[in-house]
Amino acid sequence: MRREIPLIITFVVGITLLSSYFFSGTIPGTTWVLAKVATDITGWGIIVTAFAAGLASVNLIRIHAEKIARKRQDWINSVALVVSLAVFFVVGVYVKHYPKNISMRTFSQNIFDNIYSPYGAAMFAILGFYVASASYRAFRARSFEASLLLGAAVLMMLGSAPIGVLLWNQFPIISGWLLNVVNSTGQRGINIGLAIGAFATAMRLLIGLDRGHLGSGE
Amino acid sequence: MIQIKGTLFAFYTTITVAAIIFGVLWATKSGKIVPHIRRIAGLDAIEEAIGRATEMGRPVHYTMGWGPLTTSDSPQTFASFSVLTYVTSLVAKYDAELIVTMMSPQAFPLVQELVRTSFMAAGKADMFKEGTVRFLSEAQFAYAAGVIGIFHRDKVAANLMFGYFMAESLIFAEAASQAGAIQIAGTGSMAQTPFFVAACDYTLLGEELYASGAYLSQDVNQLGSIAGQDVVKLATMLFILCGAVLATIGNPWLSNLLKK
Repeated sequence: MRREIPLIITFVVGITLLSSYFFSGTIPGTTWVLAKVATDITGWGIIVTAFAAGLASVNLIRIHAEKIARKRQDWINSVALVVSLAVFFVVGVYVKHYPKNISMRTFSQNIFDNIYSPYGAAMFAILGFYVASASYRAFRARSFEASLLLGAAVLMMLGSAPIGVLLWNQFPIISGWLLNVVNSTGQRGINIGLAIGAFATAMRLLIGLDRGHLGSGE
Repeated sequence: MIQIKGTLFAFYTTITVAAIIFGVLWATKSGKIVPHIRRIAGLDAIEEAIGRATEMGRPVHYTMGWGPLTTSDSPQTFASFSVLTYVTSLVAKYDAELIVTMMSPQAFPLVQELVRTSFMAAGKADMFKEGTVRFLSEAQFAYAAGVIGIFHRDKVAANLMFGYFMAESLIFAEAASQAGAIQIAGTGSMAQTPFFVAACDYTLLGEELYASGAYLSQDVNQLGSIAGQDVVKLATMLFILCGAVLATIGNPWLSNLLKK
Protein backbone atom coordinates (compact mmCIF):
# COMPACT_ATOMS: atom_id res chain seq x y z
CA MET A 1 0.00 0.00 0.00
CA ARG A 2 3.03 2.26 0.48
CA ARG A 3 3.28 2.64 -3.30
CA GLU A 4 -0.38 2.23 -4.22
CA ILE A 5 -1.77 5.11 -2.11
CA PRO A 6 0.52 7.78 -3.70
CA LEU A 7 -0.38 6.40 -7.14
CA ILE A 8 -4.13 6.66 -6.41
CA ILE A 9 -3.71 10.21 -5.08
CA THR A 10 -1.66 11.15 -8.19
CA PHE A 11 -4.36 9.77 -10.50
CA VAL A 12 -7.32 11.43 -8.75
CA VAL A 13 -5.58 14.80 -8.34
CA GLY A 14 -4.16 14.72 -11.89
CA ILE A 15 -7.47 13.88 -13.57
CA THR A 16 -9.31 16.51 -11.50
CA LEU A 17 -6.86 19.29 -12.37
CA LEU A 18 -6.70 18.24 -16.03
CA SER A 19 -10.52 18.21 -16.24
CA SER A 20 -10.73 21.66 -14.65
CA TYR A 21 -8.74 23.04 -17.61
CA PHE A 22 -11.32 21.75 -20.11
CA PHE A 23 -14.62 21.78 -18.18
CA SER A 24 -16.61 23.94 -15.78
CA GLY A 25 -19.68 23.17 -13.63
CA THR A 26 -20.19 20.41 -11.10
CA ILE A 27 -18.57 16.98 -11.06
CA PRO A 28 -21.18 14.45 -12.37
CA GLY A 29 -23.11 12.75 -9.56
CA THR A 30 -21.98 15.31 -6.97
CA THR A 31 -22.64 18.94 -6.03
CA TRP A 32 -18.93 19.76 -6.05
CA VAL A 33 -17.92 22.59 -8.37
CA LEU A 34 -14.92 21.42 -10.42
CA ALA A 35 -13.13 24.80 -10.37
CA LYS A 36 -13.47 25.01 -6.57
CA VAL A 37 -12.20 21.46 -6.09
CA ALA A 38 -9.18 22.32 -8.29
CA THR A 39 -8.52 25.49 -6.27
CA ASP A 40 -8.78 23.53 -3.00
CA ILE A 41 -6.30 20.93 -4.28
CA THR A 42 -3.88 23.70 -5.20
CA GLY A 43 -4.30 25.07 -1.65
CA TRP A 44 -3.50 21.63 -0.20
CA GLY A 45 -0.38 21.67 -2.34
CA ILE A 46 0.74 24.89 -0.64
CA ILE A 47 0.18 23.29 2.80
CA VAL A 48 2.20 20.21 1.80
CA THR A 49 4.95 22.53 0.51
CA ALA A 50 5.04 24.31 3.89
CA PHE A 51 5.56 20.97 5.67
CA ALA A 52 8.22 19.99 3.10
CA ALA A 53 9.99 23.32 3.74
CA GLY A 54 10.01 22.48 7.45
CA LEU A 55 11.57 19.07 6.75
CA ALA A 56 14.15 20.64 4.45
CA SER A 57 15.06 23.24 7.09
CA VAL A 58 15.58 20.47 9.65
CA ASN A 59 18.01 18.80 7.22
CA LEU A 60 19.85 22.10 6.71
CA ILE A 61 20.14 22.77 10.45
CA ARG A 62 21.25 19.20 11.27
CA ILE A 63 24.02 19.22 8.64
CA HIS A 64 25.35 22.61 9.73
CA ALA A 65 24.93 21.94 13.47
CA GLU A 66 27.08 18.82 13.05
CA LYS A 67 29.66 20.84 11.12
CA ILE A 68 29.80 23.44 13.91
CA ALA A 69 29.94 20.80 16.64
CA ARG A 70 32.87 18.99 14.99
CA LYS A 71 34.53 22.27 13.93
CA ARG A 72 34.93 21.05 10.35
CA GLN A 73 36.51 23.13 7.57
CA ASP A 74 34.82 26.57 7.21
CA TRP A 75 32.54 25.88 10.20
CA ILE A 76 32.25 29.62 10.81
CA ASN A 77 30.18 29.87 7.59
CA SER A 78 27.76 27.37 9.10
CA VAL A 79 27.43 29.58 12.19
CA ALA A 80 26.57 32.52 9.90
CA LEU A 81 23.97 30.39 8.10
CA VAL A 82 22.27 29.09 11.25
CA VAL A 83 22.22 32.56 12.88
CA SER A 84 20.82 34.15 9.66
CA LEU A 85 18.18 31.43 9.41
CA ALA A 86 17.12 31.98 13.03
CA VAL A 87 17.01 35.79 12.69
CA PHE A 88 15.03 35.72 9.41
CA PHE A 89 12.63 33.15 10.88
CA VAL A 90 11.97 35.01 14.14
CA VAL A 91 11.66 38.42 12.46
CA GLY A 92 9.47 37.02 9.66
CA VAL A 93 7.05 35.31 12.05
CA TYR A 94 6.93 38.37 14.35
CA VAL A 95 6.18 40.78 11.49
CA LYS A 96 3.49 38.45 10.15
CA HIS A 97 1.74 38.37 13.55
CA TYR A 98 2.33 42.00 14.56
CA PRO A 99 2.20 43.93 11.27
CA LYS A 100 1.57 47.24 13.09
CA ASN A 101 4.99 47.17 14.77
CA ILE A 102 6.70 49.68 12.48
CA SER A 103 10.23 49.36 13.90
CA MET A 104 10.23 45.57 13.43
CA ARG A 105 8.81 45.89 9.92
CA THR A 106 11.51 48.40 9.06
CA PHE A 107 14.17 46.09 10.50
CA SER A 108 12.78 43.19 8.47
CA GLN A 109 12.77 45.28 5.28
CA ASN A 110 16.30 46.53 6.00
CA ILE A 111 17.85 43.11 6.45
CA PHE A 112 16.17 42.03 3.21
CA ASP A 113 17.19 45.13 1.23
CA ASN A 114 20.67 45.59 2.69
CA ILE A 115 21.88 42.04 3.28
CA TYR A 116 19.92 39.53 1.24
CA SER A 117 19.39 41.53 -1.97
CA PRO A 118 23.04 42.66 -2.44
CA TYR A 119 24.23 39.06 -2.04
CA GLY A 120 21.74 37.92 -4.68
CA ALA A 121 22.78 40.74 -7.01
CA ALA A 122 26.47 39.88 -6.51
CA MET A 123 25.82 36.25 -7.47
CA PHE A 124 23.89 37.37 -10.54
CA ALA A 125 26.74 39.71 -11.50
CA ILE A 126 29.19 36.78 -11.48
CA LEU A 127 27.24 35.50 -14.50
CA GLY A 128 28.77 38.23 -16.64
CA PHE A 129 32.28 36.85 -16.06
CA TYR A 130 31.12 33.28 -16.48
CA VAL A 131 29.52 34.11 -19.86
CA ALA A 132 32.87 35.48 -21.04
CA SER A 133 34.91 32.46 -19.85
CA ALA A 134 32.36 29.92 -21.16
CA SER A 135 32.21 31.70 -24.53
CA TYR A 136 35.99 31.68 -24.81
CA ARG A 137 36.11 27.90 -24.31
CA ALA A 138 33.09 27.17 -26.50
CA PHE A 139 34.13 29.38 -29.42
CA ARG A 140 37.58 27.89 -29.89
CA ALA A 141 37.38 26.38 -33.38
CA ARG A 142 38.44 22.84 -32.43
CA SER A 143 35.83 21.04 -34.54
CA PHE A 144 33.49 21.73 -37.45
CA GLU A 145 30.54 22.29 -35.07
CA ALA A 146 32.57 24.67 -32.87
CA SER A 147 33.65 26.57 -35.99
CA LEU A 148 30.00 26.94 -37.03
CA LEU A 149 29.19 28.22 -33.55
CA LEU A 150 32.07 30.69 -33.74
CA GLY A 151 31.02 31.89 -37.22
CA ALA A 152 27.39 32.37 -36.13
CA ALA A 153 28.48 34.20 -32.97
CA VAL A 154 30.76 36.56 -34.91
CA LEU A 155 27.97 37.35 -37.40
CA MET A 156 25.48 37.91 -34.55
CA MET A 157 27.89 40.27 -32.76
CA LEU A 158 28.66 42.20 -35.95
CA GLY A 159 24.93 42.46 -36.62
CA SER A 160 24.17 43.79 -33.14
CA ALA A 161 27.17 46.03 -32.44
CA PRO A 162 27.25 49.51 -34.07
CA ILE A 163 30.67 48.82 -35.62
CA GLY A 164 29.14 45.98 -37.69
CA VAL A 165 26.79 48.37 -39.51
CA LEU A 166 29.67 50.76 -40.14
CA LEU A 167 31.73 47.96 -41.70
CA TRP A 168 28.92 46.55 -43.88
CA ASN A 169 25.26 47.49 -43.69
CA GLN A 170 24.18 43.92 -44.52
CA PHE A 171 25.40 42.48 -41.19
CA PRO A 172 22.14 43.29 -39.31
CA ILE A 173 20.14 41.57 -42.08
CA ILE A 174 22.33 38.45 -41.92
CA SER A 175 22.17 38.32 -38.12
CA GLY A 176 18.40 38.87 -38.23
CA TRP A 177 18.05 35.97 -40.67
CA LEU A 178 20.20 33.75 -38.43
CA LEU A 179 18.11 34.67 -35.40
CA ASN A 180 14.62 34.56 -36.93
CA VAL A 181 14.99 31.74 -39.46
CA VAL A 182 17.80 29.34 -38.52
CA ASN A 183 17.57 29.80 -34.74
CA SER A 184 13.76 29.95 -34.55
CA THR A 185 13.34 26.85 -36.72
CA GLY A 186 15.68 24.81 -34.55
CA GLN A 187 14.16 26.10 -31.30
CA ARG A 188 10.61 25.37 -32.42
CA GLY A 189 11.56 21.85 -33.44
CA ILE A 190 13.15 21.22 -30.04
CA ASN A 191 10.19 22.85 -28.27
CA ILE A 192 7.67 20.60 -30.04
CA GLY A 193 9.72 17.54 -29.06
CA LEU A 194 9.93 18.83 -25.48
CA ALA A 195 6.19 19.40 -25.27
CA ILE A 196 5.40 15.90 -26.55
CA GLY A 197 8.00 14.40 -24.21
CA ALA A 198 6.57 16.30 -21.23
CA PHE A 199 3.06 15.18 -22.16
CA ALA A 200 4.08 11.52 -22.42
CA THR A 201 5.92 11.72 -19.07
CA ALA A 202 2.85 13.32 -17.45
CA MET A 203 0.57 10.60 -18.87
CA ARG A 204 2.86 7.83 -17.58
CA LEU A 205 2.87 9.45 -14.13
CA LEU A 206 -0.88 9.93 -14.18
CA ILE A 207 -1.68 6.29 -14.73
CA GLY A 208 1.18 5.00 -12.61
CA LEU A 209 3.37 3.53 -15.35
CA ASP A 210 6.29 5.72 -14.29
CA ARG A 211 7.08 5.06 -10.62
CA GLY A 212 10.65 6.33 -10.51
CA HIS A 213 9.75 9.02 -7.97
CA LEU A 214 8.56 6.40 -5.49
CA GLY A 215 12.03 4.95 -5.10
CA SER A 216 13.44 1.55 -5.92
CA GLY A 217 11.34 -0.37 -3.38
CA GLU A 218 12.67 -2.25 -0.39
CA MET B 1 -19.99 19.62 -16.84
CA ILE B 2 -19.71 22.23 -19.60
CA GLN B 3 -16.84 22.50 -22.07
CA ILE B 4 -14.87 25.72 -21.49
CA LYS B 5 -14.86 27.85 -24.65
CA GLY B 6 -11.64 27.65 -26.64
CA THR B 7 -10.50 24.31 -25.21
CA LEU B 8 -12.32 21.89 -27.53
CA PHE B 9 -9.40 21.38 -29.90
CA ALA B 10 -6.94 21.05 -26.98
CA PHE B 11 -9.26 18.48 -25.36
CA TYR B 12 -9.48 16.28 -28.46
CA THR B 13 -5.75 16.68 -29.08
CA THR B 14 -5.06 15.50 -25.52
CA ILE B 15 -7.31 12.45 -26.00
CA THR B 16 -5.79 11.65 -29.43
CA VAL B 17 -2.16 12.04 -28.31
CA ALA B 18 -2.80 9.96 -25.18
CA ALA B 19 -4.51 7.27 -27.33
CA ILE B 20 -1.56 7.15 -29.76
CA ILE B 21 1.03 6.93 -26.96
CA PHE B 22 -0.87 4.22 -25.07
CA GLY B 23 -1.62 2.36 -28.32
CA VAL B 24 2.09 2.18 -29.20
CA LEU B 25 2.86 1.33 -25.57
CA TRP B 26 0.41 -1.59 -25.73
CA ALA B 27 1.95 -2.76 -29.02
CA THR B 28 5.41 -2.61 -27.41
CA LYS B 29 4.31 -4.57 -24.35
CA SER B 30 2.71 -7.24 -26.54
CA GLY B 31 5.93 -7.51 -28.58
CA LYS B 32 4.51 -6.17 -31.85
CA ILE B 33 6.92 -3.24 -31.78
CA VAL B 34 10.51 -3.43 -30.53
CA PRO B 35 11.63 0.17 -29.93
CA HIS B 36 15.26 1.15 -30.13
CA ILE B 37 16.67 4.38 -28.74
CA ARG B 38 19.70 5.74 -30.57
CA ARG B 39 22.90 6.15 -28.60
CA ILE B 40 22.93 9.19 -26.29
CA ALA B 41 26.56 10.02 -25.57
CA GLY B 42 25.78 12.11 -22.49
CA LEU B 43 24.01 9.25 -20.75
CA ASP B 44 26.72 6.76 -21.71
CA ALA B 45 29.28 9.11 -20.18
CA ILE B 46 27.65 9.04 -16.72
CA GLU B 47 29.40 5.78 -15.81
CA GLU B 48 32.73 7.17 -17.04
CA ALA B 49 32.21 10.31 -14.92
CA ILE B 50 31.40 8.33 -11.77
CA GLY B 51 34.32 5.96 -12.43
CA ARG B 52 36.64 8.97 -12.75
CA ALA B 53 35.34 10.42 -9.48
CA THR B 54 35.94 7.06 -7.76
CA GLU B 55 39.52 6.87 -9.03
CA MET B 56 40.19 10.42 -7.84
CA GLY B 57 38.55 9.77 -4.46
CA ARG B 58 36.36 12.83 -4.89
CA PRO B 59 32.56 13.16 -4.76
CA VAL B 60 29.93 13.18 -7.49
CA HIS B 61 27.54 16.13 -7.36
CA TYR B 62 23.97 15.85 -8.65
CA THR B 63 21.45 18.66 -9.01
CA MET B 64 17.98 18.81 -10.53
CA GLY B 65 17.93 22.63 -10.48
CA TRP B 66 14.64 24.16 -9.43
CA GLY B 67 13.02 20.74 -9.06
CA PRO B 68 9.44 21.91 -9.57
CA LEU B 69 6.68 19.35 -8.89
CA THR B 70 3.54 21.36 -9.60
CA THR B 71 4.29 23.43 -12.69
CA SER B 72 4.40 22.71 -16.40
CA ASP B 73 8.15 22.12 -16.02
CA SER B 74 7.71 19.34 -13.47
CA PRO B 75 8.03 16.48 -16.04
CA GLN B 76 11.71 17.50 -16.20
CA THR B 77 12.01 16.86 -12.47
CA PHE B 78 10.39 13.43 -12.83
CA ALA B 79 12.74 12.62 -15.72
CA SER B 80 15.60 13.68 -13.46
CA PHE B 81 14.44 11.21 -10.79
CA SER B 82 15.08 8.35 -13.24
CA VAL B 83 18.62 9.60 -13.93
CA LEU B 84 19.26 10.04 -10.20
CA THR B 85 18.17 6.46 -9.51
CA TYR B 86 20.68 5.27 -12.12
CA VAL B 87 23.42 7.55 -10.76
CA THR B 88 22.83 6.32 -7.20
CA SER B 89 23.05 2.69 -8.30
CA LEU B 90 26.38 3.40 -10.05
CA VAL B 91 27.71 5.33 -7.04
CA ALA B 92 26.79 2.34 -4.86
CA LYS B 93 28.46 -0.04 -7.34
CA TYR B 94 31.72 1.93 -7.39
CA ASP B 95 31.66 2.91 -3.68
CA ALA B 96 31.95 6.57 -4.65
CA GLU B 97 30.57 9.53 -2.71
CA LEU B 98 27.35 11.21 -3.80
CA ILE B 99 26.20 14.73 -2.92
CA VAL B 100 22.71 15.70 -4.07
CA THR B 101 21.90 19.37 -3.54
CA MET B 102 18.30 20.51 -3.52
CA MET B 103 16.61 23.82 -4.13
CA SER B 104 13.03 22.57 -4.03
CA PRO B 105 11.68 21.76 -0.56
CA GLN B 106 8.76 19.98 -2.25
CA ALA B 107 10.99 17.50 -4.01
CA PHE B 108 13.43 17.16 -1.11
CA PRO B 109 11.66 14.35 0.84
CA LEU B 110 11.04 12.48 -2.44
CA VAL B 111 14.70 12.68 -3.40
CA GLN B 112 15.84 11.63 0.08
CA GLU B 113 13.61 8.56 -0.13
CA LEU B 114 14.64 7.83 -3.71
CA VAL B 115 18.38 7.93 -2.94
CA ARG B 116 17.95 5.98 0.32
CA THR B 117 15.93 3.19 -1.36
CA SER B 118 18.31 3.10 -4.34
CA PHE B 119 21.26 2.53 -1.99
CA MET B 120 19.23 -0.13 -0.17
CA ALA B 121 18.34 -1.84 -3.44
CA ALA B 122 22.06 -1.96 -4.25
CA GLY B 123 22.75 -3.53 -0.83
CA LYS B 124 24.65 -0.43 0.37
CA ALA B 125 22.17 1.13 2.81
CA ASP B 126 25.05 2.43 4.95
CA MET B 127 26.18 4.69 2.10
CA PHE B 128 23.16 6.94 2.66
CA LYS B 129 24.02 9.65 5.17
CA GLU B 130 22.31 12.78 6.42
CA GLY B 131 24.49 14.91 4.15
CA THR B 132 24.00 12.82 1.00
CA VAL B 133 20.90 14.82 0.05
CA ARG B 134 21.26 18.43 1.15
CA PHE B 135 18.65 21.14 1.01
CA LEU B 136 20.51 24.43 0.52
CA SER B 137 18.00 27.18 -0.13
CA GLU B 138 14.82 27.93 -2.01
CA ALA B 139 16.30 31.25 -3.18
CA GLN B 140 17.94 30.94 -6.60
CA PHE B 141 21.25 32.70 -5.97
CA ALA B 142 21.60 31.57 -2.36
CA TYR B 143 21.33 28.03 -3.72
CA ALA B 144 23.86 28.83 -6.44
CA ALA B 145 26.29 30.23 -3.84
CA GLY B 146 25.87 27.08 -1.73
CA VAL B 147 26.56 24.81 -4.70
CA ILE B 148 29.71 26.77 -5.67
CA GLY B 149 30.93 26.39 -2.08
CA ILE B 150 30.45 22.61 -2.28
CA PHE B 151 32.29 22.45 -5.64
CA HIS B 152 35.34 24.14 -4.16
CA ARG B 153 35.32 22.74 -0.61
CA ASP B 154 34.58 19.12 -1.54
CA LYS B 155 36.43 19.31 -4.88
CA VAL B 156 33.76 17.44 -6.81
CA ALA B 157 35.09 15.33 -9.69
CA ALA B 158 31.80 14.96 -11.55
CA ASN B 159 28.93 17.39 -11.81
CA LEU B 160 25.64 15.99 -13.12
CA MET B 161 22.82 18.44 -13.84
CA PHE B 162 19.48 17.09 -15.02
CA GLY B 163 16.20 18.98 -14.67
CA TYR B 164 14.79 22.47 -14.91
CA PHE B 165 17.34 25.28 -14.66
CA MET B 166 17.36 29.04 -15.01
CA ALA B 167 20.18 31.60 -14.73
CA GLU B 168 22.08 29.48 -12.20
CA SER B 169 22.88 26.94 -14.94
CA LEU B 170 26.00 28.77 -16.17
CA ILE B 171 27.11 29.57 -12.61
CA PHE B 172 27.11 25.84 -11.84
CA ALA B 173 28.71 24.82 -15.12
CA GLU B 174 31.54 27.34 -14.94
CA ALA B 175 32.21 26.90 -11.22
CA ALA B 176 32.39 23.10 -11.64
CA SER B 177 34.64 23.55 -14.66
CA GLN B 178 37.01 25.67 -12.53
CA ALA B 179 36.94 22.90 -9.89
CA GLY B 180 38.05 20.47 -12.61
CA ALA B 181 34.87 18.39 -12.72
CA ILE B 182 33.62 16.42 -15.72
CA GLN B 183 30.13 17.72 -16.47
CA ILE B 184 27.01 16.21 -17.98
CA ALA B 185 23.81 18.22 -18.22
CA GLY B 186 20.31 17.89 -19.59
CA THR B 187 17.46 20.37 -19.43
CA GLY B 188 14.21 21.14 -21.16
CA SER B 189 14.75 24.82 -20.54
CA MET B 190 15.59 26.18 -23.99
CA ALA B 191 17.17 29.38 -22.67
CA GLN B 192 19.72 27.44 -20.61
CA THR B 193 20.65 24.78 -23.18
CA PRO B 194 23.21 27.03 -24.97
CA PHE B 195 25.00 27.65 -21.65
CA PHE B 196 25.23 23.94 -20.98
CA VAL B 197 26.41 23.27 -24.55
CA ALA B 198 29.11 25.92 -24.14
CA ALA B 199 30.33 24.89 -20.70
CA CYS B 200 29.68 21.15 -20.21
CA ASP B 201 31.44 18.08 -21.58
CA TYR B 202 28.14 16.45 -22.60
CA THR B 203 24.69 17.99 -22.96
CA LEU B 204 21.37 16.29 -23.54
CA LEU B 205 19.32 18.29 -26.03
CA GLY B 206 15.59 18.86 -25.68
CA GLU B 207 13.53 15.72 -25.28
CA GLU B 208 16.62 13.54 -24.72
CA LEU B 209 16.07 14.35 -21.04
CA TYR B 210 12.64 12.69 -21.20
CA ALA B 211 14.11 9.69 -23.00
CA SER B 212 16.86 9.25 -20.40
CA GLY B 213 14.73 7.15 -18.05
CA ALA B 214 13.86 4.72 -20.84
CA TYR B 215 17.43 4.69 -22.16
CA LEU B 216 18.98 3.93 -18.78
CA SER B 217 16.40 1.50 -17.44
CA GLN B 218 15.28 -0.15 -20.73
CA ASP B 219 11.86 -0.39 -19.01
CA VAL B 220 9.28 -1.53 -21.56
CA ASN B 221 6.68 1.01 -20.36
CA GLN B 222 9.05 3.90 -20.89
CA LEU B 223 10.43 2.52 -24.18
CA GLY B 224 6.89 2.11 -25.53
CA SER B 225 6.00 5.62 -24.53
CA ILE B 226 9.10 7.00 -26.30
CA ALA B 227 8.08 5.12 -29.46
CA GLY B 228 4.59 6.60 -29.07
CA GLN B 229 6.12 10.08 -28.84
CA ASP B 230 7.82 9.51 -32.19
CA VAL B 231 4.48 8.63 -33.81
CA VAL B 232 2.94 11.79 -32.31
CA LYS B 233 5.90 13.82 -33.63
CA LEU B 234 5.35 12.40 -37.12
CA ALA B 235 1.64 13.29 -36.93
CA THR B 236 2.56 16.79 -35.69
CA MET B 237 4.92 17.28 -38.63
CA LEU B 238 2.18 16.28 -41.08
CA PHE B 239 -0.21 18.63 -39.29
CA ILE B 240 2.27 21.52 -39.56
CA LEU B 241 2.82 20.74 -43.25
CA CYS B 242 -0.96 20.75 -43.90
CA GLY B 243 -1.25 24.03 -41.96
CA ALA B 244 1.55 25.62 -44.01
CA VAL B 245 -0.04 24.52 -47.31
CA LEU B 246 -3.54 25.68 -46.29
CA ALA B 247 -2.22 29.04 -44.98
CA THR B 248 -0.27 29.51 -48.22
CA ILE B 249 -3.38 29.01 -50.38
CA GLY B 250 -5.38 31.25 -48.02
CA ASN B 251 -7.63 28.56 -46.53
CA PRO B 252 -8.40 29.43 -42.84
CA TRP B 253 -9.96 26.03 -41.99
CA LEU B 254 -7.11 24.73 -39.84
CA SER B 255 -6.43 28.03 -38.03
CA ASN B 256 -10.16 28.27 -37.24
CA LEU B 257 -10.11 24.68 -35.94
CA LEU B 258 -7.22 25.51 -33.57
CA LYS B 259 -9.24 28.35 -32.04
CA LYS B 260 -12.22 26.11 -31.13
